[in-house]
Amino acid sequence: MFVIRPIERRDLNDLFEMAEESGVGVTSLPANHAKMDLKITRALKSFTDDIEQKNALYLFALEDRTTGKLAGVSAIESAIGNQDVWYNYRIGNSVHASQELGVHKQTKTLFLSNDLTGASEVCTLFLREPFRQGVNGRFLSKQRYLFLADFQERFNERVIAEMRGYSDDKGMSPFWEGLGRKFFHMEFKEADYLTGLGDKWFIAELMPKYPIYVPFLSQSAQDVIGKVHENTEPALALLKQEGFRLNGYIDIFDAGPTAECRLPDIRAVRESVVLDWVLDPDRVEIEDPRVDVWMVSNRKFKDYRVILLSGSNVNEDSIHLSAEDIEALALEPNSTVRAVSMRPATNPFRSKK
Amino acid sequence: MYIVRPATIMDLPGIERLHTGYEVRVTTLPSDRDKLSELLHNSTESFQGDIENPHDASLIFVLENTDTGAIAGVSGIDAYAGSGYPFFNYRIEELIHASHHLGIHTSTSILYLSHELTGSSVMRSFAIQPELRNTPYFALLSRARFMYMAQNPDSFSERTVTEIQGLLDDAGDSPFWNSIGRNFFDIDFATADYYVGVKSKTFIAELMPQHPIYVNLLSEAAQQALNKAHPVTEATCQLLFREGFDKSRYIDIFDGGPVLMCPTKNIQTIANSKVKEITTSKLVGGLKYLISNNHNSAFRCAIGNLVDGIGDHIRLENKVAERLQVTNGDFIRYSYL
Repeated sequence: MFVIRPIERRDLNDLFEMAEESGVGVTSLPANHAKMDLKITRALKSFTDDIEQKNALYLFALEDRTTGKLAGVSAIESAIGNQDVWYNYRIGNSVHASQELGVHKQTKTLFLSNDLTGASEVCTLFLREPFRQGVNGRFLSKQRYLFLADFQERFNERVIAEMRGYSDDKGMSPFWEGLGRKFFHMEFKEADYLTGLGDKWFIAELMPKYPIYVPFLSQSAQDVIGKVHENTEPALALLKQEGFRLNGYIDIFDAGPTAECRLPDIRAVRESVVLDWVLDPDRVEIEDPRVDVWMVSNRKFKDYRVILLSGSNVNEDSIHLSAEDIEALALEPNSTVRAVSMRPATNPFRSKK
Repeated sequence: MYIVRPATIMDLPGIERLHTGYEVRVTTLPSDRDKLSELLHNSTESFQGDIENPHDASLIFVLENTDTGAIAGVSGIDAYAGSGYPFFNYRIEELIHASHHLGIHTSTSILYLSHELTGSSVMRSFAIQPELRNTPYFALLSRARFMYMAQNPDSFSERTVTEIQGLLDDAGDSPFWNSIGRNFFDIDFATADYYVGVKSKTFIAELMPQHPIYVNLLSEAAQQALNKAHPVTEATCQLLFREGFDKSRYIDIFDGGPVLMCPTKNIQTIANSKVKEITTSKLVGGLKYLISNNHNSAFRCAIGNLVDGIGDHIRLENKVAERLQVTNGDFIRYSYL
């Protein structure tokens, strides 16, 4: 049985291993012990409300309860760009036109921006290799919306997700080669690593500040603007399913796109329902996780838990849980749960929120 | 004998015949007949001081073979670059991107669209018959403009500039244009150049990208062409360097050619020229000088021999005096050839 819970100090080593597995492009998991330790500390403080709200990082672990192993992590930053500076390129348009010359030319132009500062970010999705099966990835990604739904006041209405940009098998990013390298004089990996460490000042120091006319870039760099990495396409598909849309901002290093959705418009937030629960030793097991699976959270902040359950256990005003479910969710009597179908399919109780 | 004099509308066919090869920087002398005739009218008015707005003053000179009456060259000055409109250039600047923490320190060239040179006096439209290139008449045609400026200092800017034609490839295409302008116009250099001729440089320049341009993002060929003069301009550049002109931080926005610049009063022809009363004489020895009269619309400049003594008078050969339309008691301006 898999359960989502807040990260704990004892996860440090597992997390560090994951960072090493994750490789280039997953900047939010730095393979650096000290930085990782800081990250966990920040997450722990966030769940105990021991940190300024705008600096909170909610780091969730997916645990295999049968073995106690950490299967993956996902996170939400409550507000990006408050301690460091958040950079994107906005893909803009410049029009050069003259009726007399019969010229009307639109030119894509990249504007360096800090526009997304303050937005909440769903980030750091990583699932370890042996667990990449079934609905684990979806679960890890989508459970965050139950957290967002119950604690909306802690987040910005604007929720974004940065998608890893295109790079080839050797980890070479054509966009970096065409732009960043000319100003940073370092490898993409190195820049990526430094960003992961949070050393973002070097970006301000080295980055070109003026708009970049896209035709000045090499064709291979132009071709990957706003393109996601092959491995990230499923993640983008999941976000789109939830109502996220590409918002015209891209990463300054690899040109990966940013997806965005208003918090209350996120499908899983919108469709989730608050229900009473009843103990039912004969509750239905999940038959086909792709079809009838629901996510159920305990609605707790500090001891947040989420499990998966067959949709057959969901009634109009209550949900049937086994003793094991109740234990996994650490539910007290007379409490409620929040539940939502994993798939944005039909939810018969939408109106009864 | 060759003399330089103000062009008139009668010279139009002669000037048109000079339009061959790369001799003329097309953008400063239109091949369009109406436009050229307009330019000549404006020039005549400028010489006569009849022009409504002095900022529009634009002077066209021709080199005439007085034996045949043929036009052998043309040169010009715009009194105030831009004629009331912005005069566009790119200004090259260096930006330092440095991170002490990472030990990175890089210098990046960047091009800013600039109007800074608006109002400068501009040497323009120089073209000469190829067979005269290596004769003293090359200097006569070019420097006669400085002689004119010397006697009308108030009509010109304190700063004189000249745009030197940039590097072109074998096909006559500009790598600089191809890397910048073409992205925004979808027209080749020759077409752009044509429009500059029939419309105006400002007209096209206003359509150019407004944001600064990072040089390291341009094509290799464009970076190579930046601030480089076309080989055909070698003699012109050498002459201007001798006059005190120097490369500047400004380049042409179309072909990336250099803008040479000099404070007007420091231009050697102007700084070294002297004015004296003449006595005509049958034969004069001495050295060759550039000599001009002190008229405006009847301006003449030629090459002649002078013996520059300490007296207030100077002897001028009859033949030269006749060409310059001066006589005993008139004043001439002269400068070392």
